[in-house]
Amino acid sequence: MEGVSKAVWAVVAVVIVLVVVAAAIAMYKPAAPTAPAPAPPAPAPTAPMITPADTLIIAMDTSDAVSLDPARAYEFASCFVVNQLYDKLVDFELPDLLHVKPEVAEKWEVSPDGKIWTFYIRKGIKFASGNPLTADDVVYSLQRVIKLKQTAYSVLKPFLQSPEQIEKVDDYTVRIKLNKTVAPSFFLSVLTFTTSSILDSKVVEAHAKNGDMGSEWLNDHSAGSGPFILEKWERESQFVLKANPNYWKPGEPALKTIIIKHVPEPTDQLLLIKKGDVDVAVDLTADQIKQVENQTGIKIVRVERFHNVYIGMNVAVKPLDKEEVRDAIRYCIDYDAIVNDILKGAAIKWQTVVPKGLLGANPKTPYYKNVTLAKQLLAKAGYPNGFEIELTTPPIYPTIDVATKIQADLAECGIKVKIIQMTASQMYEKYRKQGLQLVLAGWGSDYPDPDSNAMAFGNYRIKQLAWRNSWYDDYAADLAEKASVEMDTSKREQMYLNLTDYILDHGPYAMLYQTVAQQAIRDYVKNWLPDPTFYYLNLARVSKVPSG
Amino acid sequence: MDLRTYVIRRFILMIFVLFGIVVITFVISHVIPADPIGAILGPQASPELVEKIRREWGFDKPLHEQFVDYIFKLMKGDLGKSIRTNNPVVEDLLYFFPATIELATSAMIVAIAIGIPLGIISAVKKDKWPDHISRIFALVGVSMPVFWLGLILLFVLYYKLGIFPGPGRLDPGIPEPPRITGLITIDSLISGNFKALLNSLWHLALPSFVLGYYASASITRITRTALLEVLNQDYIKTARSKGLAERVVLFRHALRNALIPTTTVIGMTYGSLLEGAVLTETIFAWPGLGRYSTGAFLSVDFLAVMGTTLLIALIYSLANLIVDILYAFLDPRIRYA
Repeated sequence: MEGVSKAVWAVVAVVIVLVVVAAAIAMYKPAAPTAPAPAPPAPAPTAPMITPADTLIIAMDTSDAVSLDPARAYEFASCFVVNQLYDKLVDFELPDLLHVKPEVAEKWEVSPDGKIWTFYIRKGIKFASGNPLTADDVVYSLQRVIKLKQTAYSVLKPFLQSPEQIEKVDDYTVRIKLNKTVAPSFFLSVLTFTTSSILDSKVVEAHAKNGDMGSEWLNDHSAGSGPFILEKWERESQFVLKANPNYWKPGEPALKTIIIKHVPEPTDQLLLIKKGDVDVAVDLTADQIKQVENQTGIKIVRVERFHNVYIGMNVAVKPLDKEEVRDAIRYCIDYDAIVNDILKGAAIKWQTVVPKGLLGANPKTPYYKNVTLAKQLLAKAGYPNGFEIELTTPPIYPTIDVATKIQADLAECGIKVKIIQMTASQMYEKYRKQGLQLVLAGWGSDYPDPDSNAMAFGNYRIKQLAWRNSWYDDYAADLAEKASVEMDTSKREQMYLNLTDYILDHGPYAMLYQTVAQQAIRDYVKNWLPDPTFYYLNLARVSKVPSG
Repeated sequence: MDLRTYVIRRFILMIFVLFGIVVITFVISHVIPADPIGAILGPQASPELVEKIRREWGFDKPLHEQFVDYIFKLMKGDLGKSIRTNNPVVEDLLYFFPATIELATSAMIVAIAIGIPLGIISAVKKDKWPDHISRIFALVGVSMPVFWLGLILLFVLYYKLGIFPGPGRLDPGIPEPPRITGLITIDSLISGNFKALLNSLWHLALPSFVLGYYASASITRITRTALLEVLNQDYIKTARSKGLAERVVLFRHALRNALIPTTTVIGMTYGSLLEGAVLTETIFAWPGLGRYSTGAFLSVDFLAVMGTTLLIALIYSLANLIVDILYAFLDPRIRYA
């Protein structure tokens, strides 16, 4: 017995010593040189640049990357990389995500009914291979997406279902016939997504195997006209991009090499950026951002992402069918506490279904924590003593903390919440079958257009969020459908404002917040622009200029 | 029975074990109520798309048909395609396993280099201060979470002191040598790239220490126990009473017998290290099997899960077999039956 306790004490002693030593080393700062500083005034304190001046090193969790074939890439990391390798017919230039700019197409026309589009291809663009980019490549690339039918195809599928809809008029003109009227701003927005990248048809076909249209080869090779060429992708290790010598925009890219280093652990990213061994750290937590935001040499780039987190309330589950009950739940939640105390800067309060930054974004935030009002609403609905309900959420940070907070908030109103944790794969399986009661989940837009949000949250007919929460509201569904075909952009905007107002009052959601991306960059990195999507950021314009 | 017959018999047994494992993992991964396709497609996907992709992957077929398909493919060495990465599982394993072999092997070397000497010292100096210190050292090793130790080491030795490099297998500026074995150290040696070799060894140091330290604990304890037991036996007394030097008694007479249980522990530890250590791999940004299999488990990627499980089962069976064969070298009295 004595031996055991001795050993335990010894362990405690050793651990204490280790911690003290570690802390001592951590606190240690080299003493200032004793020699008096010479007369010339020292420049403003800047941190030296350790990484090579012509190379940008980004630390990022890239575990989601699956393929760099534009017809397949549909994850954050892969779309981010694909965007650097390829051009599209049209593109957005940050920070403006409302007005589409010409890229491969120098101009375009649309028929009055919004169905037939003609794109005029810019002459003189060369692919990295040296091949000229012509209408054939555009037709090949878009048809390829339709033929391969990978997940990313869902972006184009609503308007393009057969390869014949895309045709060559002459070497530098392409016509696209949509199968229905689509709001012009909506269709152009979709064309900016990486799925519509233009590929070098000759190079791709040279690598085709068993009719895969080069898909296997394109997993880790590039055949584009973008500012960079993929030198290599070592999975779960790094992407290396080299400047494309044939790039057509003068003066770009500014850097010779981009290294996207796979660093899955945020704490590692923190150490790397603090030390200056990487130029950008993408995935720091809110607490880590607070640690570095005042450090010399580091800047924080913040932007509201097109990603909303919400509570879904399945209307088929009693008593969620009563509007008063859903309103009561919305009045129980302390939104400010969630945003400020749990997410600490990584989110803003946002209560409508189209996120800030998009056409038709509705800034109203009428809901706040009001227990008295919530209880009145519950009493009116016939539940003066509250009720019991399940809240399903994936076991990930910070979602689980938010769920716990909501459990506590609803308890104050008399609603007993049982939190059920399941992995995303299990949760979505049940959610898709309308099998959940309350769910804490998120929704992101692929491209900067309100349609995907309006349809998902408003239109039960497409079997997404409205349907999963059994909210069969024809007014909302019709309005969402009409807005997606409205040719007049300002009328379209008004429709989204009406729709978001309607869902705010009647819908089956308590919209909690919009997430904020926070990236730490070294201060000599210029033009790393805030990007709500992460795949419009153009690394060709990013440069490294040591200040001072 | 001679060694050859024994090995052949063990191999046949191994096939049955592996088949059993295939059946069990197949059943488990198909009855759990999760949807890999839905997980891959994300919240946006409509039920129609999910159904369509499910048909493409053949997940709509009856379970027994899927199983027969799987077994037939397996016999041809085809483990199917991972739903998550869309690559053949065999290719994925070939990509991720070498990094794990590299880390596990160097960690094992660290573990043996720490474990056996410490075990011997504690046995010889039983209940004296060297024994206590080694016990504490081992206790700290097993009880300290590896991610904590890993982060502390990175913080102090990389961030503060700059003696060791940050996470990853190579510095960002150093290109990987051409992939031959997938072990960067070996590949850079083969291609004569000494800069990459030194850099990769330097990068290997911290993760192998973290894993090796953790693994050394059980080796230390088992070596100590086994050696103490042997040292109490009559033939050791005889050796001592013959007037042999203590060094000779210890290393020539006692240690060889004591190392039999240690060998078992080393074999099993090596097996478990080869499964991949997900926390260490995450902290040190190491593209190994641990991260691959965890990703596969979380997204219910059936075929990848079965492929990894099969590989791990194979490693364990082989490790067991090698350990059993090694017994004979350590102790000629052991016969195979």
